[in-house]
Amino acid sequence: MSAIETTGLTKYYGDTRGVEDLSLTVREGEVFGFLGPNGAGKTTAIRTLLGFISPTGGSATLLGRDVTDEAALIEAKRRVGYLPSNPGLDEGTTGRRLIRYHAALKGDERSDELLEAFDPPIDREIGEYSTGNKQKLALVLSFMHDPDLVIMDEPTSGLDPLMQERLYEFIEDEQARGTTFFFSSHVLSEVRKVCDRVGIIRNGELVAMEGVEELLDRSGKRVHVSVEETLDPADFALAGVHDLDAGDGDASFMFTGEYDDLLDHLRNYRVRDLEIEEAPLEDVFMKFYDDGPESESPPPETAAATAGGESDA
Amino acid sequence: MLDIATYESERRIRGALVLSVLLAAMSLLFVALFPSISNSGADLDAYMESLPPAVQAAFGASGTFSITTIEGFLAVELYQFFWLLLLGIYAAYLSGGLIAGDVERGRMDVLLAAPVSRARVVVEKFASLVPVVLAVNLVVGIAVFATVLAIGESISLADLAVVHLLSVPYLLACGAIGLLLSVAFSESDAAKRAGLGAIFGLFLLDTVSESADLNWLGAISPTRYYDPTAILVSGEYDWSGAVVLLAATVALVAVSAAWFRRKDI
Repeated sequence: MSAIETTGLTKYYGDTRGVEDLSLTVREGEVFGFLGPNGAGKTTAIRTLLGFISPTGGSATLLGRDVTDEAALIEAKRRVGYLPSNPGLDEGTTGRRLIRYHAALKGDERSDELLEAFDPPIDREIGEYSTGNKQKLALVLSFMHDPDLVIMDEPTSGLDPLMQERLYEFIEDEQARGTTFFFSSHVLSEVRKVCDRVGIIRNGELVAMEGVEELLDRSGKRVHVSVEETLDPADFALAGVHDLDAGDGDASFMFTGEYDDLLDHLRNYRVRDLEIEEAPLEDVFMKFYDDGPESESPPPETAAATAGGESDA
Repeated sequence: MLDIATYESERRIRGALVLSVLLAAMSLLFVALFPSISNSGADLDAYMESLPPAVQAAFGASGTFSITTIEGFLAVELYQFFWLLLLGIYAAYLSGGLIAGDVERGRMDVLLAAPVSRARVVVEKFASLVPVVLAVNLVVGIAVFATVLAIGESISLADLAVVHLLSVPYLLACGAIGLLLSVAFSESDAAKRAGLGAIFGLFLLDTVSESADLNWLGAISPTRYYDPTAILVSGEYDWSGAVVLLAATVALVAVSAAWFRRKDI
């Protein structure tokens, strides 16, 4: 049985497309990355899976149970954890009380252990929490009943880099215990860290579903090089160079070829600066999945979030 | 069971107690003023009679009784206005936020991620109003009775108890109207304002229809089925009215639950 299976899942709000004809399978025990720019339909798809909104077409199952059948879905939810991107938590109550409330609703197998790992200030009122602390509390709430499947909607958005790392490690440990993850993100670098396979959604439609390694091989790296000589664009007619933008002593391009070839070529110059970084997700879309001019402007945080990711230089 | 109701009423009970104490203090003030008003020599009854019938009806003073008696005074000054109108509005306003507030702030997603049915959420959230309604009635009822005795007047304890008892189904019916609006609207403020407007509108409808020969029209208003003046002044208890209010409450909660089950949130 698959942890999640959708077949032609479609959700329209009137004439507005949420998701269209989404078919994907999340296998048990894997970490599945659900990747797409902001506004692509990730949250709509997730909220349909959890029965918050009903599909206008197609079907979906969660742990083998039909998400449009409330009784069946409730059975599934006993073993599902959900971490929303911006969790709504009562401001006027303490973290401790909220944990006790959720313990009554879905059971509590391991909140003590989780509180040790994430340590939100549970004796304070949630209204006083920082975004990071809210996220930590929400993590405790979504894992406390020891679910088999956890759905996370952009879980690292409010976390500082240290906490992000801790979350990645936690996901790895949980996966080792057999937990399945469905993990939405618009940041390629984090998806490559934690996910086994990815589905890419764009404008409400699934445009690719493949292993993370294949995706990264296909998406390549963004290379920026400064040299002391003047550059001729023709010099960089190497295999695997795309979108070349060469000026005086600078060249930047997408690179999908062999590193050795690139480095050999660079030996012809006096290199002043060299940056090789992961392609921003938007570039991945542009490069490999561009199916028309219908592209939305990339969210500014995408570039910032990936920029610090992988610098091999 | 009742985990949601327990949690929700816990969150509300502090506000309810503050409200109860404020209302108790205010009724204490009203009752304490009574001796000086009834002894002032001003002919308040003649003044009431000089008011147009619709306004008299709004004050609950359509029958023949004197507001210079403690019963008449309490009915007009306290119960007709604060219980029937303001608390009714408060109940609808409060419950207007029950569902819409959680949906708007994303709390409903966190709650419904747990294995709970939507119908249970609606019913238990509504049930969390019951302790609030009971607390207000208990605190203010005791305060009124004690103050009446303290100023050397007397009042039928049974009448006073019934005026509070029968207000429970009335206030729950007002709350159920707010609940339905809370499911209908996706913004908490809009639902609360609609609840406020609905109760005020129904109150007016009942009042106007009584004097405008459109009596049947006012029958849709919950205010028709709870008459604090009749209870206090004439000792008439409208038990069937209470049954109508309870039935309407159950129906409204059932419709709200069925609607919320189908709704995209």
